This record gives sequence, structure tokens and C-alpha cells, in this order.
Amino acid sequence: MDKPIITESSIKIPSSQEFLVDVDGFLEGRLVKHGVDKGVIADIAISVTEIVNNAIVHGNKSVFEKAVTVEIKAENSEVEIVITDEGDGFDPHNIKSPIEDDNLLKEVGRGIFITRALMDKVDIDSGPGRPTRVTLSKHI
Amino acid sequence: MKLNDFEQDGVMVLEPKGKIMGGPDATILHEKLYELIEKGKKKFVIDLSRVEWMNSTGLGIIISGLTTLRNNQGELKLANVTEKIKSLLVITKLATVFETYDTVDEAIKSF
Repeated sequence: MDKPIITESSIKIPSSQEFLVDVDGFLEGRLVKHGVDKGVIADIAISVTEIVNNAIVHGNKSVFEKAVTVEIKAENSEVEIVITDEGDGFDPHNIKSPIEDDNLLKEVGRGIFITRALMDKVDIDSGPGRPTRVTLSKHI
Repeated sequence: MKLNDFEQDGVMVLEPKGKIMGGPDATILHEKLYELIEKGKKKFVIDLSRVEWMNSTGLGIIISGLTTLRNNQGELKLANVTEKIKSLLVITKLATVFETYDTVDEAIKSF
């Protein structure tokens, strides 16, 4: 795979941040079609790009051949988005708070914190030696 | 994302436009900021009025620019911060770190 593969409910990208714009376009298209408010779409897009960035950089270690998959399911007034990488996992309990004084001026480390603030539910299924699967839910 | 820049009263004003989400768009802002810092510019205003949204990559770039500048007796201020970005600054407590102004002119005059 050298470019995104898009279906009605998913997008699969190689591990390069140049394809974030494709993920954003895919999400916006599906959510607009579902009649979702522009501000809510922005919250979802911010959150999904955070998790996809992590999947590319930390999960797949930017190995181009490894894929990141984003699946979307919008039903009634709820949207659920699942992001899966092909990496070796991490301990989701070992995430530092970016709002502690020692971390406040750090350049990185805010992605999951922001995602938890913007989405209603964030479920991180990961562990050493297996891929990470993050499920985001939001009332729309 | 597109980026314009100009100098007014000794202050560099950067005008990013679009979304800042990581990848090539974020690189443009990062490289311009550091190119100007390396040329000796110390006073910056980032006009956020045309930024639809940014994620933590965008926040990381402006916080990196701010700390680099403060370590060199410089400063980076924000102008026209949209509600979406303002809420991110509050969530991440970066609202306590950045000086923000309603207009670019006010930000420039504050130096």
C-alpha cells in the first residue's frame, strides 16, 4: 500500500503524516453527510488526528509499510471511531499529565489528554507486544 | 495550511491559514518560525484568526517557539485566538503561559 485505501466506513493509510489530511477529509465527508455540527466535527477531527499521529509515530514507528486504519460508525446521535495500528503496544496507564508544572512547556505529550477532553469516551486497548486499538465515542 | 508573514514595527507577524494537524502543514510553520529566529528576530505575533483548528502538534510548535524565544530574551504572543483554539489553550493550561490579544495591532503595541 503506497496511498490511502478508502471505503464507505473506513480509511487505511501508510504510516506517514502526509496522509493526515486524507483522514481529515474522510471524516469530514462522512460526518457532514450525517448532519453533524461544524464545531463537533472539528472536535472529532482534532481527536482522531491526535490518535492517528500517535499510531504513526509511536505505534508504527513511522515505518511506511505499516498501516493505520480508521473506521467510523455513525448511528442516530452517536459516532464511534476506531483507530488501529500495527505496532507493539504500550502501557496506557503510564501516560504523564501534560498540565503538571514540569510538563507544561513540553513540546509533545498532549494528544491523549486533549482527546479525552473533547470526546465523550476514549477506550485504549493496548499492551506490550500487541497492536493498539483506540475507540472514540461522541454524542452528535 | 498556508502561511503569510510580514514585519511591522519590528515585530514579525505570522498568519497561518487552515488546519494545523501534523505533517507537511505543521512543518511549514515550524520551519518559518525557526528560520526567522535564526535570523535574529525576537518579537513574534501569531495571528490565529484564519486557523480553523489545530491539534497538539500546532500547540507543540508554538510552545517550542515561545520557549526558544524566551530563552533568548524574545517573546511570542497570540492574536485573534478563535473560540476553538482558546478552549484548547484552557484545557491544556497553556492559557496561563501565552499572552493573547484581540487584535494583531494590540499584540504589536504590547511589546
